[in-house]
Amino acid sequence: MDNIKKELSFLFIAFILFPIYAATAHGALSDQAKVCLTCHSGRGMTKTLENKEILLLFIDKEEFAESVHKKSDCNDCHTGYMAAHVSKKRVIKSKREYAINASRVCSMCHPDDQLKKIAMHSPLMAQAACVECHGSHYIQKMAEWKKGINETQYCLTCHRHGLSMHLNSGELLALAINESSYKGSIHGNLLCSACHRDFSKTKHPVRTFTNKREYTVLATKACSTCHPNEQLRKSPVHASLMATATCIQCHGSHAIKGMKIQKIGMDESQYCLTCHRGRLSMTMRNGESLSVYIDEASLKSSAHGTLKCTACHTIFSKTQHPVRAFNNKREYTLINTELCKKCHQNASTQYESSIHYALFKSGNTKAPHCTDCHGNAHSVARARAKTDKTIGLTSCNKCHGELNSSYEASVHNIARIQGKANAPVCSSCHNAHNIESTKMTTKIKEGCFKCHKDMGKVHNKWLKNPPIKTSTFAGAHFDVVSCAACHSPQATRRIYLSLFDCKTGKPLTEEDIIKLLDTDAANLMKKIDTNGDKIIEGKELWGIFSMLWNKGVRTTFMGKMDVSNSAEAHQLGTKKEATRDCDKCHHPESPYFENVFIVISKADGGTTLLPAEKGVLNSIYSIIPARKFYAIGGTNISLFDILFYVALIGGIAVPIGHLSLRIIFSPIKSLRKMGKGGKK
Amino acid sequence: MKKIYLHPLPIRIWHWVNAGGFIVLILTGANIRNILNLFSVETAVEIHSWLGFVLLANYFIWLLYYLLTLNIKIYIPPLHHPIEFAKKALRQAIFYGYGLMVGDQNPHHSTPDNKFNPMQQMSYLMIMTVLIPVQIITGLFLWDPKLFSPIVDVVGIQIFDLIHVLLWIFFSAFMIVHFYLATLGHTTWAHIIAMFTGYEEEHEEHGHGEEHGHSH
Repeated sequence: MDNIKKELSFLFIAFILFPIYAATAHGALSDQAKVCLTCHSGRGMTKTLENKEILLLFIDKEEFAESVHKKSDCNDCHTGYMAAHVSKKRVIKSKREYAINASRVCSMCHPDDQLKKIAMHSPLMAQAACVECHGSHYIQKMAEWKKGINETQYCLTCHRHGLSMHLNSGELLALAINESSYKGSIHGNLLCSACHRDFSKTKHPVRTFTNKREYTVLATKACSTCHPNEQLRKSPVHASLMATATCIQCHGSHAIKGMKIQKIGMDESQYCLTCHRGRLSMTMRNGESLSVYIDEASLKSSAHGTLKCTACHTIFSKTQHPVRAFNNKREYTLINTELCKKCHQNASTQYESSIHYALFKSGNTKAPHCTDCHGNAHSVARARAKTDKTIGLTSCNKCHGELNSSYEASVHNIARIQGKANAPVCSSCHNAHNIESTKMTTKIKEGCFKCHKDMGKVHNKWLKNPPIKTSTFAGAHFDVVSCAACHSPQATRRIYLSLFDCKTGKPLTEEDIIKLLDTDAANLMKKIDTNGDKIIEGKELWGIFSMLWNKGVRTTFMGKMDVSNSAEAHQLGTKKEATRDCDKCHHPESPYFENVFIVISKADGGTTLLPAEKGVLNSIYSIIPARKFYAIGGTNISLFDILFYVALIGGIAVPIGHLSLRIIFSPIKSLRKMGKGGKK
Repeated sequence: MKKIYLHPLPIRIWHWVNAGGFIVLILTGANIRNILNLFSVETAVEIHSWLGFVLLANYFIWLLYYLLTLNIKIYIPPLHHPIEFAKKALRQAIFYGYGLMVGDQNPHHSTPDNKFNPMQQMSYLMIMTVLIPVQIITGLFLWDPKLFSPIVDVVGIQIFDLIHVLLWIFFSAFMIVHFYLATLGHTTWAHIIAMFTGYEEEHEEHGHGEEHGHSH
């Protein structure tokens, strides 16, 4: 009943007002339009939408009277709106929703089949509402409308809206132009067709692109119309970039500003990212391509996120961008490692004493550097990663993955799986930066001792020498026996004799020996293994020592008992599984001393292992060269056992001989006792 | 038969502790080197180490006794009369090599103030002031090389082992010869008994017997 009353009231008002508007309204309008304009010609007529946008409901009747739709009844397009005015208040979410809904009516007079005959309509109909491009109440005939506006306005009619284009790659290419940015840009006075030469008010080809890159390359070609390559190449950076990057990757397109203004308006990092947020790459002399793209989001969240680019890349700034050339990607990485030094001095100094650096210095380009373990400097994790030990395992496994299985079987990894906070990973024992060759160094034990404190006391419970218990006694063992040699169950033990320079206290490298002996790598073995049997005997051990002695170099073969391979070194067992039987080592027939190797270090941190004669440590020739390595049983000098027997025989022979002589001479003695002959 | 109190009690105790210690150290030394197989290496090392310290203490008993009583002089050869000393030593050597066999009298007559003949004097001076201290010191270095690392690391532990083993070989031979010489008294057991009782019997027939001054 209420609705009927409302409708009757509305009709009554319309009936009363009609004669007034009929007299005043433009004669070209339909009668219904005249009625609607009674209210909608009011300039202040608006509606607040759900998203708080203000929808203007005002219709300029003069302009409407010039439109192609002037003869149409309002109800032709706004179907049902008359009833809606009285039935209920209409809820509109946004202008966009309103435009889409309003545009649906267009097809009543302009069916899709007809519209799709225009090539451009087809792709647009799916994403843009008719009224967004063509407007609504003031639509003119296309030919007349085109004559009335300039090209830029014509293009922006559609492109000021959120249009986009689907590319074959699945990428979405935005086609929307921010009008104010464009007008304020250095290109604001240019017509669209100045760059988009295939387009004009009369032609708009439909194109397809594989990806954004293809589109960008094509679009950039227009730049050279005004900015010829010869001119651009005057800038060294341009010259190098032009081969790989497109103009708009760095400079943008419709909002482009003059370079000076652009530089003033942004901070240094943003300036760099102007280009480097694009998919830039750098071509090396060997043809490799290195991406110099920076993921801005990763950089911001990284440990270096708050730094300016020039904090590391000091030779670059807003005003200078030297062009560099590298032979290959690795060379680039290695040179850039120097950048890390500036802030990470300690780590860098430690690194320079490492086996990794030694490898690098010897020319091994695969030797790891900062980023090989820590990842890209632009996405390196923040300091909280210091408590995250994963890097100490995963980064090592990149090169040393073959050892992972033995580590996984170890008591250490079991502790890690159990979630024990102090469970060690690679870097816990081997250090993170100052990693040394584990061959012939006792420093690896320092890694063990980081967690296993007071090992002297712990081992002294059983590893002691009466009558006085000294912690140094265990220490004497720690100096020459690796932890793994006892704590790796079922490991094969070996003795490694490494040549050390007494003066420097460091291993004498193969390169040093070659230089000292004035020979070359090919002939070095001939000088060492004089009989060519590929086994080093005691005499040959002495030979190495004496040759170097004659050159004024005092050397010693430092001995160490260790496991036979890296896998055994990592497969550490529980305390119960450890060897703690003195006789296993300290016995002349101990199998641990059967395999002896001479270790010659190399400058790159590697080593050459030369098998030695089984009894080399029992040879008298080894006493001086290996004078600092001693183990009861294992280093017994065989000749001394022979000497012992000789001494015993001699000791017994003296009494026997003397006694025999006394017996032989006893008659004389008896005669003299009886006073017959002989002196008194 | 006249008796001379030649071996005071502290010296007799020191001697027999030393003698027993030497024998066991030689045997355990041989065991450590796998020449003998009386014990495990671990046990042999333990015994060897214990006895090493016992003999270290024993050495100081000897040293303190002779220094405090000023009797250390009996070890000092009269080097201010070198020719006379050399002649005496030569006479003593001739006695052991020939005179003893044909019934000559021992040219040396032991008294508490002149206990050793020239050969003994030279030998025991060398043994007591050089060889035993060197053996003790090298033994200590081998016992815990790390404790003495400032010296051991510079020289090289093998050098100390070389010295220790060579002296072990020497003492092994010495012990046999020493025991034989101890039987060269006027009776086979005379010197040995004297080292238990302290009294050396003087052979009445010759005024003083065939003597090998056993103690040192």
